[in-house]
Amino acid sequence: MLSTFFQHELKAFWRSKNAGRSVAIRVVMALLVLYLLANVLLIAFFLDKILDKSFPDQDLIPAFSGIVLYYFLFDLLLRLQLQELPTLRVQPYLHLPIKRDTIVRYLSITALLSAFNLWPILLFTPFIVKIIGHEHGASVASLFIIAVLALTIFNNNLALYIKRKSNVNGWIFLAATALVIIIAASDFAWHFFSIRSVSSLYFLNLIKQPALVILPIILAVGVYLFNVSYLKDNLYLEELGSRKATAYKSSTDIPLLGYFGHTGDLVANEIKLILRNKRPRSAFIMSSVLLFYGLIFYTNPVYAHKEGFKVFCGMFMTGVFIINYGQFMFGWQGGHFDGFLVSKVKFADFLKAKYLMFTIISTLAFILTIPYIYFGWHILLVHFVMYLWNIGVNITIVLFFANRNSRRIDISKSASFNWQGTSFSQFLVSFLLLGAAYIIYGPFALLGHADMGLIIMGAVGLVMVFIRSYLIKLLTDDFSQKRYMVAEGFRNKG
Amino acid sequence: MIQIKNLKKIYAGVAVVNIPEINIAKGESVGLIGNNGAGKTTLFRMMLDLIRPDEGEVLLKEEVVMGHEAWKNITAAYLDEGFLIDYLTPEEYFYFTGGLHGLNHAQVDDYLTTQTDFFNGEILKRGKYIRDLSKGNQSKVGIVSAVMQNPELLMLDEPFANIDPSTQIRLKNMIKELTAKGVTTLVSSHDLNHVTDVCDRILLMEKGKIIKDIQTSPSTLAELEAYFAVGGQTV
Repeated sequence: MLSTFFQHELKAFWRSKNAGRSVAIRVVMALLVLYLLANVLLIAFFLDKILDKSFPDQDLIPAFSGIVLYYFLFDLLLRLQLQELPTLRVQPYLHLPIKRDTIVRYLSITALLSAFNLWPILLFTPFIVKIIGHEHGASVASLFIIAVLALTIFNNNLALYIKRKSNVNGWIFLAATALVIIIAASDFAWHFFSIRSVSSLYFLNLIKQPALVILPIILAVGVYLFNVSYLKDNLYLEELGSRKATAYKSSTDIPLLGYFGHTGDLVANEIKLILRNKRPRSAFIMSSVLLFYGLIFYTNPVYAHKEGFKVFCGMFMTGVFIINYGQFMFGWQGGHFDGFLVSKVKFADFLKAKYLMFTIISTLAFILTIPYIYFGWHILLVHFVMYLWNIGVNITIVLFFANRNSRRIDISKSASFNWQGTSFSQFLVSFLLLGAAYIIYGPFALLGHADMGLIIMGAVGLVMVFIRSYLIKLLTDDFSQKRYMVAEGFRNKG
Repeated sequence: MIQIKNLKKIYAGVAVVNIPEINIAKGESVGLIGNNGAGKTTLFRMMLDLIRPDEGEVLLKEEVVMGHEAWKNITAAYLDEGFLIDYLTPEEYFYFTGGLHGLNHAQVDDYLTTQTDFFNGEILKRGKYIRDLSKGNQSKVGIVSAVMQNPELLMLDEPFANIDPSTQIRLKNMIKELTAKGVTTLVSSHDLNHVTDVCDRILLMEKGKIIKDIQTSPSTLAELEAYFAVGGQTV
């Protein structure tokens, strides 16, 4: 039975519309994964050198023993944020004559296939073999490997258990995250205890006392069994996370938008789309966090007088939402695109609403970045120019590509590691959005007339804002060619 | 009201819709029936300019549908959940679609109170987004929103599916009232009883073609049952 499940899983992977569609995206993803893998392996093989540099007054093995638990604490935090529950996929099997035990076992085993379980093994095994195996022999080295494996499984099951629990009650997730952070803080900030000494204590004694290896194994098996029994008792869709019992949802109006008539209504709808759905919401939150991006550069004396960085920061901070959210348009609305096409909404109004929404959000972002004036008034000027550039040029670029995008996005899915809707054109769009400004700015800056570059960019942005109605007409004509292709694509789920 | 001329859609070499000519007069109430895959939804989508026909055209009040928008002012349709904005509450959705046709909140509210029976207390003020409603309740939202737009042409794809028997009866009455008011209705269904009860004209599709075009008479139901019968058994 388990092998049948695996076969289905493989088919699901290869036949999913996203996996099959584009070779380019798979190549890019593979390269990205390989790059990450190479980085991890690089760290793994030079871990002894790194430890030597970081803890010069300590021997290698005590230094290593000290960091292992830190890693797993960090790992747990990451898993809580990013690891996906392997749950929804069991739905079609629940009503068939398949034993619950089998389904639960399948869930527990597939959970182990997460990439998160690969990192600790890749990261620590080379060091353990190279240094510990050399110093204390193969048997101690294998004890270390077993301990690392057990801790990995422990973390894996613990994270999944917490995530399952938090499906039923959202506060559990926050509490668990807070707890992990408090544990970290009580070590680093408050010095109540030292995780490093606990870690060293355990692993250094493991060398002398092999029986200690049983400790992480007990932990791992314990949490595994706990998880299995919880799953067995709660194998209901509601608790697995497909549908949650939720709080009362109230209807809201966004009053100010009323002044813009139909266009305002459309913007209000889109703002609701962003705030009420997981994936666009995280794109939005991410964009808000990136408003602090300037602090990285402006506080650093190396970059302080590099004009090019100001241009980039200004463009990025006032326009990151256009990039983040815009690159997937109109895929966000793929779920009700047919309804939109049949409705009385004119496509020109639809575009006007997009312009309006991005302008509002960019304006807010610009206002919020005004405090950067602390680093000099010139920064504010650059930000303003880039703000004009964003609302003039970048929105138009985004909409031009949106007319060509026929990949729908499941807005209710989480954003992390979610490649749905991504294709080569998304890379192209991001690249263009980030780079287009330099086509104008670059030559002037190189010739030493950076300010002239700024003035021209500001002027171009402003002109594009003034000719918006003409641009909207062009985009509308363009879309009338593409509408069937786009609508057809959005009808394809998966 | 509607003219279909030489309309064709071909997928993978197979004509899924192939209609040389059909005219539907204003105020007619037309039922579209046919087995799964007969091409009903594809026909609907072409009539709503959602799919590009390979050949031919659809005219609504003498205006070609494809590439034009004036027909949207007088047409309302509900084909599937893809017509609903599922992260809105039903109220917000009604306000939005009503607003497109110039109705303010108070007018929408007034209209909705006339639909209290149809909603059966399941839709309004329940604190749910449309995506959290059951399929049947979602289709109630879509149907009421379409009717609220006060269209001259109403198109519904399998509206009787998913809704409870009482609502089916209410929906039939609703369509009959609209027909009495002169609204042209086009309804697809698998329920021969309902469709012969509501519609004065029945189009039967098979493999993309309209093979029967009949004015409903007392014998129509028996005729259709005979067509769909399997080994002498009828539904």
